[in-house]
Amino acid sequence: MTPDAAAARPRDAIDCDLHCAPASMDVLLPYLDDYWRSYIDDATIRLGDLSYPAGAATSGGPAPAAYEDLAPLLDRDATRAAVLSCVVLDGVHRNPHYAAAVATAINDWLRDAWLARDPRLRAGIVVSTLDVPSAVQEIERLADDPRFVQVLLPVRSDVPYGNRLYHPLYAAAERNGLRIALHAWGRAGAAPSTTGIAPTYLEDYLSNVHIAEVQLLSLVAEGVFATFPELAVVFAECGFTWLPSLLWRFDKDWKGVWREVPWVSDRPSAVVRRHVRLTTAPAQLPRSPTEVAEVLEMVGPEMLLYASDAPHDHGTSGGALLRDLGAAGVEAILRGNAEAFYRRSVA
Amino acid sequence: MKVVVSRLADFPPGERRIVKAGARSIGVFRVEDEFFAIRNRCPHQGGPLCQGRLSPWAVASGPGQVRMEGPPRLVACPWHGWEYDLETGQSFMGPGETRVKAYEVAVERGDRLGEDARPGDARAPVPAAARAAGREPGPYVAETFSVYVEEDYVVVDV
Repeated sequence: MTPDAAAARPRDAIDCDLHCAPASMDVLLPYLDDYWRSYIDDATIRLGDLSYPAGAATSGGPAPAAYEDLAPLLDRDATRAAVLSCVVLDGVHRNPHYAAAVATAINDWLRDAWLARDPRLRAGIVVSTLDVPSAVQEIERLADDPRFVQVLLPVRSDVPYGNRLYHPLYAAAERNGLRIALHAWGRAGAAPSTTGIAPTYLEDYLSNVHIAEVQLLSLVAEGVFATFPELAVVFAECGFTWLPSLLWRFDKDWKGVWREVPWVSDRPSAVVRRHVRLTTAPAQLPRSPTEVAEVLEMVGPEMLLYASDAPHDHGTSGGALLRDLGAAGVEAILRGNAEAFYRRSVA
Repeated sequence: MKVVVSRLADFPPGERRIVKAGARSIGVFRVEDEFFAIRNRCPHQGGPLCQGRLSPWAVASGPGQVRMEGPPRLVACPWHGWEYDLETGQSFMGPGETRVKAYEVAVERGDRLGEDARPGDARAPVPAAARAAGREPGPYVAETFSVYVEEDYVVVDV
């Protein structure tokens, strides 16, 4: 992490995307039965964060592997609450049974190693998107634990998230007062778009933005929010400055071709503003304070939830975001928007 | 000013006529046995509104659960596909946006040719089908005119 990025961390915030990760697969083995321990051993499966290579400037160092690594940072920033995102499940595997077992192991590890240690901590339920019924089962298994405030899904999916395939998952989330978080990355080794594989990390890193755009279009156009009126989604680590131009175009073209999606009975931008939020990191902002203010006015500060995204290091734009916003906007982004967004208590 | 559009016998259901009334171009539509007249100028960007296709409302109870409702009384501008209700000129492109002008159209008997028609209410209530579709009137309202059938003739009052 660059010194500037660390210094830009605000105090007393509700951090809606804070990373933790097991140091290795060994940490998860006690949470898996002997069949899966044997499978992991036979296949020599390693846990690794393919999205943030250790040497890349964006990685900012390893994610905290133990509560003791994180506590000093929470104390230093007087963090009011933090929602943990553990994104190690989505490697290159495609075995739905393995994914379901490891998702359960990660959630149990989150409870023991993190949530039980500090009342400021919350977490997203890790589920496998390779098998929706098992994901629903996992949501129901943990639904009584109020420290899980959302269901964590990788923004990269095999089928767009508006598809009916996922609707049982949304029904379970809505029924239990859980939000949906679509987090950057996932599906390592897959092409970030149908145009083909990205040959460089740079292209893959930047692709989270257009993947998020496609998922947003899919959720609205396929009627997820018409079907689940209490559902809400946060795009985590996908940026947010792309939102105004996409919504303008979405509204414009919906007016002409609404017959294809007559269940979208209101302007898409209005649907998005009711049901969707975005985290503040990475903040892909211009340098000029005037231009930052213009972007924030177009996006709407009410759309943003503060996230440190630690340890990932996307530069210092997050500081510019808070610097150029009035006091009311800062309060909303650091705390108020998150408190309003989550149906379960976060702080 | 009354403009004779067509002999009634030459204007079957499902057809339309585009007529000149001074500088204005007006589309007269026969939908089943009702006549409507609306200005042939889309309030959005001036497109030839009356050349567009007619459709009924599409009403959805959920994703993929769609039915058509009512007669085909929505005309879609060929330029951007924006649709207007033939009777009121009302668009449903989102609350809080711009309106298009509509004119009342009626069918009148020939012996009433000399009488003035009563102007219609361009802010007519939202049609039931639009309500069923969950749509609110938008700001664009196309200008509509009164249409009459007078004995054997269809007449528009502009």
